[in-house]
Amino acid sequence: MGGDRMDLVYRVLDDQLVDVDGRRCGRVDDLEFEGDLGEPPRVSAILSGSGVWHRRMPRRLRAIGARLFGSGVVGRDVIRVPWTQVEDISSVIQLKSKARELGLAQGDDRDATFVAKLPRS
Amino acid sequence: MKKIFQVALGIIAAIGGFVDIGELVFNTQAGAVYRYQLLWAVPVGVIGIVVFAEMTGRVATVSGRPVFDVVRMRMGLNVGLVTLVASLLINLVTLAAEVGGAAIVLQLLFDVNVSTLILVAVVGLVLIVYFVPFGGIERIFGYLGCALLVYVAAAVHLRPDWHQVAQGLVPSWHSSALYAYFVVGVIGAALIPYEVYFYSSGAIEDRWTLRDLSLNRANSVLGFTLGGILSVALIVVAGEVFFAPKVQPGYLGTTALGAQHAYGEAGLLLALLGMLFAVGGAAVECAFSGAYTLAQFAGWEWGKYRRPREAPRFTLAWLIFFALAFVIVETGVDPVLLTEYAVILSVVALPLTYLPVLLVARDRTFMGERANGLLANTFGWLYFAILLVVSLAAIPLMLVTDGGAG
Repeated sequence: MGGDRMDLVYRVLDDQLVDVDGRRCGRVDDLEFEGDLGEPPRVSAILSGSGVWHRRMPRRLRAIGARLFGSGVVGRDVIRVPWTQVEDISSVIQLKSKARELGLAQGDDRDATFVAKLPRS
Repeated sequence: MKKIFQVALGIIAAIGGFVDIGELVFNTQAGAVYRYQLLWAVPVGVIGIVVFAEMTGRVATVSGRPVFDVVRMRMGLNVGLVTLVASLLINLVTLAAEVGGAAIVLQLLFDVNVSTLILVAVVGLVLIVYFVPFGGIERIFGYLGCALLVYVAAAVHLRPDWHQVAQGLVPSWHSSALYAYFVVGVIGAALIPYEVYFYSSGAIEDRWTLRDLSLNRANSVLGFTLGGILSVALIVVAGEVFFAPKVQPGYLGTTALGAQHAYGEAGLLLALLGMLFAVGGAAVECAFSGAYTLAQFAGWEWGKYRRPREAPRFTLAWLIFFALAFVIVETGVDPVLLTEYAVILSVVALPLTYLPVLLVARDRTFMGERANGLLANTFGWLYFAILLVVSLAAIPLMLVTDGGAG
């Protein structure tokens, strides 16, 4: 594959997101495209969060998938990270900002308040 | 010099960490029922784990991707989810078996009621894991698990018929479902997958770089091969001590009696000490593997090298794994039975994690010039074929033989 072409499913989809501080903060669970009919679509955002999982499941399992993993409410079970935030694509997807600023890794932030009460945490 | 020392220490830890409750149960039973005739299944399993572990260690070092990262990336969300759920369940059953095993060994040593000892085992393990750094955990359990080398000494001391032992190392076949079940069990015990998840995540925990690839090869090839000698010794000792009187070792304590037969009380104590740290270490690896698996699949921060508050969901995950295992073992279920389920179910699910690792290990996009060469590819695909056969045969054999009961 040439330097200006990239197979998004092979190199980006399902990969690890890492923020500017090197913190792991979710996976590329789906990609968002934009563009008018007849024009080449462009990647506009990474969608991260289990809320989009049901859309990728076999049709029969989608309803139960949505109940188990969330139905895809942006900001709650799905975070939209604009493609302009992508700094580098290597073995991980390196982002330009902190996870907290992008709304990523909310689960870790929430549980951190509890875990911080443990000794020597 | 320092490097050689480091390699040697890694190998020692790998030897001590190789044997777990799977080998203690299956290999002892295999020796008791078939004497030396199943010895050949040990190298089949050991070469399998060497191939798998070497690839995962190399993939983790070169591409920065541990096993479940690779599973998610190459198998996609749906097959990935199936693999995740299967692996978590198997990990939990294995963890419960190891914890139960630790409690039984403690009971043989201290004669307190087993329910209390399960609590002691779980709390002890949780405290060690929480407060001791990653490298220290590997060493404590790896080095003390080497007390099991008493079985190697015992195997020699008991003067087996070496001609028959050598014959046992040549693959042979019986048209008996029970024999086939033990073949699957002995291979499966060597290939138990949490070791590989742990090993590959450990490469990232220990911050391996390209310069550590030789360390990876030494640890996986030498460490696991020498660990395999321990597995062979378990079969030989059981073949010497339990085969002739037709003892059916359905109890973990029976395994320890083999060493006692050779060296009296000192042998028994060494065997119990070795078993305690071997299953304790395996329990830690299982709990961590469960947490690694979950965190890597979902993309959470993970690692013992992070402070607990920096990887909170990972920390809670391994704590919860220990808690669930505690509940399972406290129901009074027999750890030997749990072990059999754990080993057989692991074998069934193994191709699901093995295939994506093989695919990435041979992919030059991710691995560059460190991708599989001819040798690694040949062994890689050969073992994929073997795993598929063993995986398909495992459950039917378990049902037909009623879990090895005959």
